Amino acid sequence: MGDWFTVRTWAEEFSQMISDNSIGKTSFSDYSDTFVTVMTEGIMAVTVFGIIMATILILLWIERKFFARIMDRRGATMAIRSLWVGEGGEHVDWYDELPFGTGKPLRWLNELLNNTFGSSSEHETVDRVNDRSYHGIWFLLPGLIQNVADGMKFMTKEWMVPAKADKFIFEVAPFIIITSTVMLFAFIPLSSEIYSANPELSLLFLMAIFGIAPLGVFFAGWSSNNKYTLLGGIRSAAQLTAYEIPLLVTVLSVAVISGSLNIIEIVEFQVSSGSWNIFLLPFGAGLFLITMVAEVERIPFDMPEAEAELVEGWWTEYGGMRWGLMFASEYLRCYAACLLFSLFFLGGWEMPFGDSIINIIPNQDLILGAVGVGLIGLALGMRSEYPALLAPLPLVFMSVVPSIAWLLFKSWVMFAVFVWIRASFHRIRTDQILEFGWRWLLPLSLVNLGFAFWLRLAAWDGGEWPLFVPGLITGIAFVVFVILGIDEDTSELEGRTRPYSVYTGDVGPASPRSHEK
Amino acid sequence: MPYHPHAQPNFRNMFVRPMWMALKAALRTIPYLGRLPILAAHGTSSPYHAQEATMIDRGTAERLGENHPSVGQTYAADRETSTLVPYIDRPVTVMYPYERLEDLEPWLFVPGNYNGRIGVIWETCTACKACVKACPNSCLHMTTETRVNVLDTASEGDEWHGYGSDLEVGGFAAQRNDVDNSDYDLMTAHDAVAQEYNFGSIIDITGDIATISWNEGGIGEVPTADLSPAEVDIVSGLIDMGRCMFCGLCMESCPFESFFMTNEYDGMSGYSREDLWYDADRTRVLPSVHQERVDLELAKRAEKEQRKRKKAKAKAEA
Repeated sequence: MGDWFTVRTWAEEFSQMISDNSIGKTSFSDYSDTFVTVMTEGIMAVTVFGIIMATILILLWIERKFFARIMDRRGATMAIRSLWVGEGGEHVDWYDELPFGTGKPLRWLNELLNNTFGSSSEHETVDRVNDRSYHGIWFLLPGLIQNVADGMKFMTKEWMVPAKADKFIFEVAPFIIITSTVMLFAFIPLSSEIYSANPELSLLFLMAIFGIAPLGVFFAGWSSNNKYTLLGGIRSAAQLTAYEIPLLVTVLSVAVISGSLNIIEIVEFQVSSGSWNIFLLPFGAGLFLITMVAEVERIPFDMPEAEAELVEGWWTEYGGMRWGLMFASEYLRCYAACLLFSLFFLGGWEMPFGDSIINIIPNQDLILGAVGVGLIGLALGMRSEYPALLAPLPLVFMSVVPSIAWLLFKSWVMFAVFVWIRASFHRIRTDQILEFGWRWLLPLSLVNLGFAFWLRLAAWDGGEWPLFVPGLITGIAFVVFVILGIDEDTSELEGRTRPYSVYTGDVGPASPRSHEK
Repeated sequence: MPYHPHAQPNFRNMFVRPMWMALKAALRTIPYLGRLPILAAHGTSSPYHAQEATMIDRGTAERLGENHPSVGQTYAADRETSTLVPYIDRPVTVMYPYERLEDLEPWLFVPGNYNGRIGVIWETCTACKACVKACPNSCLHMTTETRVNVLDTASEGDEWHGYGSDLEVGGFAAQRNDVDNSDYDLMTAHDAVAQEYNFGSIIDITGDIATISWNEGGIGEVPTADLSPAEVDIVSGLIDMGRCMFCGLCMESCPFESFFMTNEYDGMSGYSREDLWYDADRTRVLPSVHQERVDLELAKRAEKEQRKRKKAKAKAEA
């Protein structure tokens, strides 16, 4: 499956063209190659940064909307539309007053929304409210642009350094955090043709840079001269040392099974060997997810922030755009974690089952096309007179979607999982976090590493994985999960009595000093 | 049973169940899919989304009667969003302030159920300050002043002459003093305007001579012709809503049905603490809106007045 979205090639060709037409024709033509390299890398850095910063909005949107859905709410909905619709049911049709009919489009939009998606109810108030807001399809969009409003708010806020803070360190800490976070994306390839830097050992670079930000966090916590921030910084340091090591060992298992410390080669191994790593190391994927949640300090591992105990944790004293940028860098780290999970375990930019497992089916394109025709025909058959015209759609779709879209989509799904985790669990205690990290995750990650070695050295024959290997491993993992989910040592539980029971048995009702009998 | 199966710290209870419950809540909000029985909340037989239900219980329905607007309405806990795509459900959220719960589910707002912001019918308030004494947070700051009823300032021949109150023992009286405020200018003055009356309470009336205990001190005997009847009025009914804890003791202490907690939860915010100091205008409740209360109070007063007159008549006859 070819990818037409070859941004790096385009950038190279463009730079070459510029070079040929400018310094290539001058006496500096010796430096032409350097010029092309610098310009290409510059374009790629800007491209990657632009893609990441543009799509981070989607992450924030998922955080809001999906979390709201889980909490049985709607999330941010009507930020934009309230600009042109009056509040409290009063129509302020100000767009009619604009000169030369410039407000007409807003009126049309409003009427379209109201007439098409608005509902009518017999209840006057419901009707009024529906007229104002609820519009079925429209509710998706505004929450996305809410983030822009938030960013503008941060930019207009005052920046204050606490009087007794260590001013230099206090100012430096956000720079450490933000720059190291942005630097992460230099080594994260978005597809085989969209990356900023691709050193041989990009995985090592990446994990090293991942470890810089905690230093900035500790700086920020200590220099603020505030007990909450200091506690937050200390917790962050303790937690990250407890989780970096299992994380690195797990990443090492990915490198071992893929035989490379280069992320692009790891993805290409998954494509060429015919199975995503999650089917070979399902256990490692779980470990990676857990350690990454701890690494980016999200619930349930958000001890350093712990709003209920530490106000806002290590960033309590920060405000304005510095806070906004640190907030953004938290999400960027989260984005990086999701992208890494997709790259390491979900086949990166490969279309799901595009080239790998489904290869055992002969003529997969034809079969997929037939299935697609069947589904679309089923859905649209009653409405379309020529459903057969839609037959090539799945094939067209598969060939048109650029591979970066698959990677971004996978990482958004992973972020939804992060949000799901956040909604499901409560924050755990510091000692529980540390014990979990040192006593469980570290040995388990070593076991996982050993398993990866065994797979690579003993089970792999150098070609494609036979289907039964990932199938068997995934099946076993699923069975283990189910057994863990339903297993219960009932006899042990039956024997367990509560240490402080209100039922006093044959002693009689509880009374003062009754425990001494 | 010495243990509850859901209260044990095992993998199922700490990992699988919370994840599944959170996912269920999210899936319930999806069209069609959300109605699957498997997504029902724990302990219920079906998901509550999009279920039509009459939300008035029988007792409430009897109390409201047939003609109340809430009767006969079947509200879905989840309202449909669109007639075009009726199966797009939305979560149960009241989009305040665009939507208000008392508009959509009025049965929740039975009077007396809820202590909202303070409302006072100032027209029936007698400035007894029972509420001030009852307030545990001392958020009520009502200052009273003895003053002449404007109706009593009307001289003979004016339209309102004779409508004021009477001089009576135990009441208040005012005597015009020689203060002249004619050159008092509010724009330039630094002091409050001087009182044009001396106030006191009436100890005794014998014929045309009244014995007055003056507020400034001293007891004097004055001809009743020189006196005007006076009364105690509230001059500022300041309420610090920032300190109010909505206990409703002020409402309970009010003997005149004029002080109560409304159902209103809105409008109790401000940009500063000063904004939460409510003057009388912001706590005013219109008597026309609460005619029931006013009627009750008026009936009470009329009855009292009748009793007094009957007693006076009996005394005069005896």
